[in-house]
Amino acid sequence: MLLMAVPVDDPMMNWLIWPTIKFVIAFAIVITVVAAFTLVERKVLAYIQVRLGPNRVGPHGLLQFVADPIKLLLKEDIIPSGAQRAAFFIAPMLPLIPAITVFAIIPLGPPPAFEITSINIGILLVLALTSTGVYGMILGGWASNNKFSLMGGLRSAAQMVSYEVPFALSIIGVLMIVGSLDLGKIVAYQEAHLWNVIPQFLGFFIFLVAMIAENNRAPFDLPEAESELVAGFHTEYSGMKFALFFLAEYAAMLVNSCLVVILFFGGWTLGMGGWGITTAVLQQWGWIGAILGGLIFFVKVMFFMVFYLFLRGTFPRYRFDQLMDLGWKWMIPLALVNIAVTGIVVLALNGGGA
Amino acid sequence: MYVERPKTRLTEKFLLLDLFEGLRVTWKNFWRPKVTVEYPEVKLEPSDRFRGMFRFSHERCIACKLCAMACPIDIIYIDVHDEQQEVDGKKKKVKVLDRFDIDVKRCMFCALCEEACPTTPKSIWLTTKTYELSTYDRGELYFNMQELEYWSVKPEFPTLDQIAKRAGLGQQDAIRKIDEGRES
Repeated sequence: MLLMAVPVDDPMMNWLIWPTIKFVIAFAIVITVVAAFTLVERKVLAYIQVRLGPNRVGPHGLLQFVADPIKLLLKEDIIPSGAQRAAFFIAPMLPLIPAITVFAIIPLGPPPAFEITSINIGILLVLALTSTGVYGMILGGWASNNKFSLMGGLRSAAQMVSYEVPFALSIIGVLMIVGSLDLGKIVAYQEAHLWNVIPQFLGFFIFLVAMIAENNRAPFDLPEAESELVAGFHTEYSGMKFALFFLAEYAAMLVNSCLVVILFFGGWTLGMGGWGITTAVLQQWGWIGAILGGLIFFVKVMFFMVFYLFLRGTFPRYRFDQLMDLGWKWMIPLALVNIAVTGIVVLALNGGGA
Repeated sequence: MYVERPKTRLTEKFLLLDLFEGLRVTWKNFWRPKVTVEYPEVKLEPSDRFRGMFRFSHERCIACKLCAMACPIDIIYIDVHDEQQEVDGKKKKVKVLDRFDIDVKRCMFCALCEEACPTTPKSIWLTTKTYELSTYDRGELYFNMQELEYWSVKPEFPTLDQIAKRAGLGQQDAIRKIDEGRES
């Protein structure tokens, strides 16, 4: 876009100013998408349940996502007696910070315009950051001085730790095929060869299940299981603190949707084997190409975001022991098998000596 | 309690076809016409047997007090006095209603008063298809004769035609759609 046209040689500009400006823009986009998605979620769930959903604020309820935060901001901020005040105060911020920070690494479109930072260990950093989100939940559950909250916090800790393993293992197959941890290079490989979902279907499936469990979304929403734990770790939270937990959950969903699109579905490109709308083609088209790439990426991400909602609208919640079963007895062995098979195939195709 | 689970075939276990079956159901529901009625704007017409607010006809009433007697909680208050009136040239004793009050706030809408009424058509009836009876003051739910006869709340219901037009369907289509929704 505009940012492409400005010649920048100054290292100060290259490494500090431009990334900061881009990140602020990305932050605004992410927050808007996340806020708007709360409305999408309510609408889609309502439609699945043959209801109309929110339709009072603005035309067809489109302004509901503005009304919700205003309501939450105006609400009383309740701190339960006996709560650990400092921890109670910090906890809602902890999951949101990594979930937002990750967007400094994840490109939301084709390179020159949308690439905020090009880090050659991008995917590792993303994994490291997203896994820190669980601290806020544990801390919030513990600081609330409420049994339900504590249970929710503990559950989320157990769940996140269990599913972190297959989550990371499922990516290794992709990394072996591509041979790089750089998110841009992973997309570049896919447009030149095949979308990773085809050779790595098992990896994709494990990643999909693990990412839903990572986000504590239905059918793995045990930390906040309404019918068992009231609201889980955020039972005692009200007003904007609750909204921060909420935002963090949705931002994490967005992160994981972006990841699955970048890792398995060719990111912002359409087409495989060097054909179709590739990064090079998008760059050729200038700022139109940049916007088009961003749109393609957005549509793909939205597909997975809506897929989350369909899963939530369709499947009943897992029992906790079933959840652990699935994680440790199915997902991890399958991921290991996937790694082994992928390794053998990659070795065979590269002629052994590579 | 031990529950025998149905045996799952290997294909079912690995291909997870049940999950897709579930997703198919939600996907179908997603596109189905929605059953929500946006109440204050659209009102459904109650069935013919629906018991709503009372309506009273002074003209038809013969002041027999049968309704008051039939009422299980005695909320119909009737006062009557006799009057000499000239009917067809003859002097006749006629009952005249002084008071016909119903304490609707205690009413349970059993319609036994309507059943007991001997006139045809009934001089007190509940099949007015009204249901918006809420008030801000409980005193407003005590109705006298005039109020019962001339109450202004007139139920206005959209016809099926109007509902169908709003949804952009023909009337037959609308009926068919609603039926389909009920069956599936």
